[in-house]
Amino acid sequence: MPRDGKLVRISLVTAAAAAVAGVAVFTAGTASAKSSSASVGGAGSTFVAPLLSKWQGPVQQQLGLQLNYNPVGSGGGVSAITNKQVDFGASDAPLSQFNPSCSSCVQIPWALAATGVMYNLPGLANINMTGSVLAQIYMGKITRWNAPAIKKLNKQKSLPNTPITVVHRSDSSGTTYNFTDYLSHVSHAWKSKVGTGSAVSWPTGEGEKGSSGVAGAVRSTAGAVGYADVYYGLHNHFGLFKMKNRSGNFVRVRAKAILSAAALDTHPAKDGSLSIVNPPKSKKYANAYPICTYTYVDVQKHSANAANIKKLLRWAITKGQKYGPAIMFEPLPKSVVTFDKKQIRKIHS
Amino acid sequence: MTSLDVSTDAARRPFPGRRARLGDLLLQGSAGIAALGALVLVGLIVWKVIEGARLSISTFGLSFVWDVAWDPVRLQFGAGSFLFGTVVTSISALILATPIALGIALFLSELAPRGIRGPVTALVETLAAIPSVVIGLWGLLVLAPILRDDVNPALHSVLGFIPLFGPAGTYGSNVFTAIVVLTIMILPIIASISRELFLSVPGELKEGALGLGTTRWEMIRGVFFPYSRGGVAAAMILGLGRAIGEAIAVALVIGDGLGIHVNLFDLGQTIGGKIALNYQGASSGLETSSLIYLALILLVFSIIVNIVAQLVVRRSARRLGQAG
Repeated sequence: MPRDGKLVRISLVTAAAAAVAGVAVFTAGTASAKSSSASVGGAGSTFVAPLLSKWQGPVQQQLGLQLNYNPVGSGGGVSAITNKQVDFGASDAPLSQFNPSCSSCVQIPWALAATGVMYNLPGLANINMTGSVLAQIYMGKITRWNAPAIKKLNKQKSLPNTPITVVHRSDSSGTTYNFTDYLSHVSHAWKSKVGTGSAVSWPTGEGEKGSSGVAGAVRSTAGAVGYADVYYGLHNHFGLFKMKNRSGNFVRVRAKAILSAAALDTHPAKDGSLSIVNPPKSKKYANAYPICTYTYVDVQKHSANAANIKKLLRWAITKGQKYGPAIMFEPLPKSVVTFDKKQIRKIHS
Repeated sequence: MTSLDVSTDAARRPFPGRRARLGDLLLQGSAGIAALGALVLVGLIVWKVIEGARLSISTFGLSFVWDVAWDPVRLQFGAGSFLFGTVVTSISALILATPIALGIALFLSELAPRGIRGPVTALVETLAAIPSVVIGLWGLLVLAPILRDDVNPALHSVLGFIPLFGPAGTYGSNVFTAIVVLTIMILPIIASISRELFLSVPGELKEGALGLGTTRWEMIRGVFFPYSRGGVAAAMILGLGRAIGEAIAVALVIGDGLGIHVNLFDLGQTIGGKIALNYQGASSGLETSSLIYLALILLVFSIIVNIVAQLVVRRSARRLGQAG
């Protein structure tokens, strides 16, 4: 009976595949959940994942700690730390954005970075952009590159009649939180119709999974716009908009521009959150890039692994910061480090 | 997700009229436990899914099923867009894949020169083993630009009078791309099962038909198709099940759009895709619960499809007086 033999074979293959997948999921889960004496495990933001993977080596050498990190997304990180499945959760959106949230956690800003807006127009570098025009593009109000609103910002360039293809993240993401937070700050229409969140109801545009999905779509579509963390955009040689800040300057996203924006809010609120998007008009912020963000680590105040967690965090906000600039994470301002040290002292076993 | 019911009365009572021995009892017991395990597992899954969806069910009620909004900021959730996307992509993929798969199966079982049957069969079955995330990535990076730049505009200019083939936009990821990716994924399932079915057509029937002076096509139509109708229907159901449940490959190429659009070149989303993309990052309890509500709808939908399919298979089997 060849027919029956075939069916059995197919189901055996399926069963084997399911078993392998199950084992993989199980081990991935326990790897991050386990907290033996010499390791610290976390989960969360994909935005901060490159920095954590840079930290793994030095943390092992300098602190003798094994750092495990599972980049499942900010929401997943917050829910993992809320349910005490990990030693720390990493999130780009502040804890107050989550419901249910972790009321027994301390929130510590531990990295500073920015979101870049990529575009695909061959031969046209450094296009100028304002927040309000960007919001109109993402609302589907401006649909061609030679629209008067864009032309006005780029008088010396000849913009093509190419349609603008809007690309955004389809999965929930801290980058989306930063981006929509900025658009809500610069556009009333955006704030009232769409709002701020790690996933929103997009008025237009193609959704892609992850920074790599967005970049892939932007790369293959002439006239596309998309957003991703700055390092991703620079590293992959995308054209990035020069964003106009409230002091009236078009700013290329560089270390100095991020640090200048960070000066806006150097004293975290009681819950540890900071907001540095769209700094006001001032000489101090003349060169600030307007789409910058802090990203946070959330830790349970009571934890059996407290000693190792504290060791890791103290290192992360001081020595760890010097591994950031190579991948466009800028060092924390002094006052934030001071605040963080106070927060870390609240953790105990 | 689909079971093929080929048991008969004789198969249910393997040793009629004989006293059960210890070995038989053990066999019966362990097989029974295995079957019971599957039942318990399904029960646990259903229970857990209903429990997880409770918050969303009590907030939105039954209108969740057809509501097309999905707004995590304003906490408005509905399954309408995704249910529509699931139905359209899976059924279209089945319609596209079935004739091609039957062609492949006929070629490999009947028409191809002996020497190339083995290698081509192996290749078709390899296609079934490619992980869905790999097919999804290939769809996004290779297939989507080709469809968008060359195929979709051509389809629109020839078939544009049918609303399904509306203006081809600038989006590489769209419902049509997802349909093509799903077609590629279910093709080998239908093809390889159908090939086995065609191989099992008794030689006497074939020779009899040819002996009556039929052409090859008449023999295929008159002998192959009636003989294997039930089995091909079952193979199609397996393929449909795969298409309905597929999450990650679709999520990568469908463009994550809301609403109900007739134009296949528009953005869309399926239930599986939505859950895969947003479950880990959900920022509120209600969003998580609504995603689980989506899972419940998917579960109910696939059970309905499964039951309908079983009826179809059984009916065509009865008409032929045999199973398979």
